[in-house]
Amino acid sequence: MIVNSVGFQTLVKREMVRTFSIINQVIWPPVIQTLLYVFVFGLGLGSQIKNMPAGVSYAQFLIPGLIMLQVIDQTYSESSSSVFQGRFMNSIQELLIAPLSAIEMILGYVVAGAVRAVFIALLITGLGLVFVHTAPTNWGLYVLTIVLVAVLFSSLGIIFGLLAEKFDHIAVLTTFLITPLVFVGGVFTSARLLPPLVQKISLFNPMFYMIDSFRYSYTGVGDAPLALSLTVVSVLAVAAFAVALRMTAAGFKLRT
Amino acid sequence: MNGAVPALRIDKLVKRYGNFTAVDGISFEVQEGEFFGLLGPNGAGKTTTINAIVGLANITSGSIALFGHDVVRDWRTARRQVGLAPQEYNFDRYLNIRDVLIFQAGYYGIRGKAVQQRADMLLERFDLASKAKQPYIKLSGGMKRRLTLARALIHEPKLVILDEPTAGVDVELRLELWSLLRELNTNGTTIILTTHYLEEAEELCDRIGIIQTGKLIALETTQKLIGEGSLQDVFLELTRR
Repeated sequence: MIVNSVGFQTLVKREMVRTFSIINQVIWPPVIQTLLYVFVFGLGLGSQIKNMPAGVSYAQFLIPGLIMLQVIDQTYSESSSSVFQGRFMNSIQELLIAPLSAIEMILGYVVAGAVRAVFIALLITGLGLVFVHTAPTNWGLYVLTIVLVAVLFSSLGIIFGLLAEKFDHIAVLTTFLITPLVFVGGVFTSARLLPPLVQKISLFNPMFYMIDSFRYSYTGVGDAPLALSLTVVSVLAVAAFAVALRMTAAGFKLRT
Repeated sequence: MNGAVPALRIDKLVKRYGNFTAVDGISFEVQEGEFFGLLGPNGAGKTTTINAIVGLANITSGSIALFGHDVVRDWRTARRQVGLAPQEYNFDRYLNIRDVLIFQAGYYGIRGKAVQQRADMLLERFDLASKAKQPYIKLSGGMKRRLTLARALIHEPKLVILDEPTAGVDVELRLELWSLLRELNTNGTTIILTTHYLEEAEELCDRIGIIQTGKLIALETTQKLIGEGSLQDVFLELTRR
């Protein structure tokens, strides 16, 4: 599958260099935003909220949701802007003329996205540990969910980075789909606390399964069966990866 | 050179964009060690041909082989043979210029001390060593042009394609680049050059092909093509027909 492993590793490294050269756009905003959410919603307003599932405080309930929120947001926005900027500046031609296959390219972006996602998640996890005294109890599930979500949103980022004709187009998915679905997908509240009809609607929201399976790695309980959540996330991740790969292999908006 | 595998073999290459035919069945060969000029008016199909050679354009029909390796079927080996210095600056803005070279080598599957030494050697050779830690946006136009060439050479290709390498540079730098290109060719690198400066092609190229509206309208040694006149006269006569 990977023949040019040095080329693939070089692309991962390049994406990491990019991430840390724009650290104020990529790494610090999720950390600062999470701190604000924790203090204002978690420790402030949240102290008034009782009866959270699994006997955790609202702030402790909030942390895994906030991690997913940031992982989804940053993974999508980074891979989409990296691909789009590469097309816009033509620097992606450095990859296209090299002996790198489509799968080596896509894996380069996706693996970099996963590494970035785990890094951001660990930073926020650290905040949770310090300020809210909560930590994952199932690290395997913690990493697995982040990686699956990162594969899904890195791939979506590549797809929209290829489709976009201007930077504004990249924001369409974030503004009209990702952010609303994440916010109603269980970041701030458990589905069990929602009215029955809204509970049923949320079953059609893929973000619900991502947040729920990730929260399971903290609390050991979820609103949906864990196997179902992981299946939904896995199927979506594989589908998005396959579409991104197909577009890149066909040279969609990359090769004339 | 007879009987040897050519550095480049293009056979009945066609490239269409919808109903528009950018390259219309051209065939030619470039022998190893040659300095070949690919000329033509704007929109003639030069850059499309180059893009098809390096993999930036999908071929509609026909075939291209680099040192005997088909660019579609045997693309990995074919791409290792060629370095491209495009007309537009398309460097990675997040890397310093030394890393631009090292990362480019990485994409070609090469890394380690030898690559770092080669990057340093190229930066030295192209008078860019003092800027090694700078991003490319801090370089002057002439420096960017030299960096384009250095990047094309980092993986030690046997064929280098230069798409208007002296466009927009001053006379002094143009002469300097000519000297660098001659040295490169003398050391065995095959060069394909596109340029709008006909005196440049006349000065540097062993052989010249002229494309117009996607068709090859001339293919001759520079000396034969020019005869007693100048390349400009021949070019204008051919392209105005």
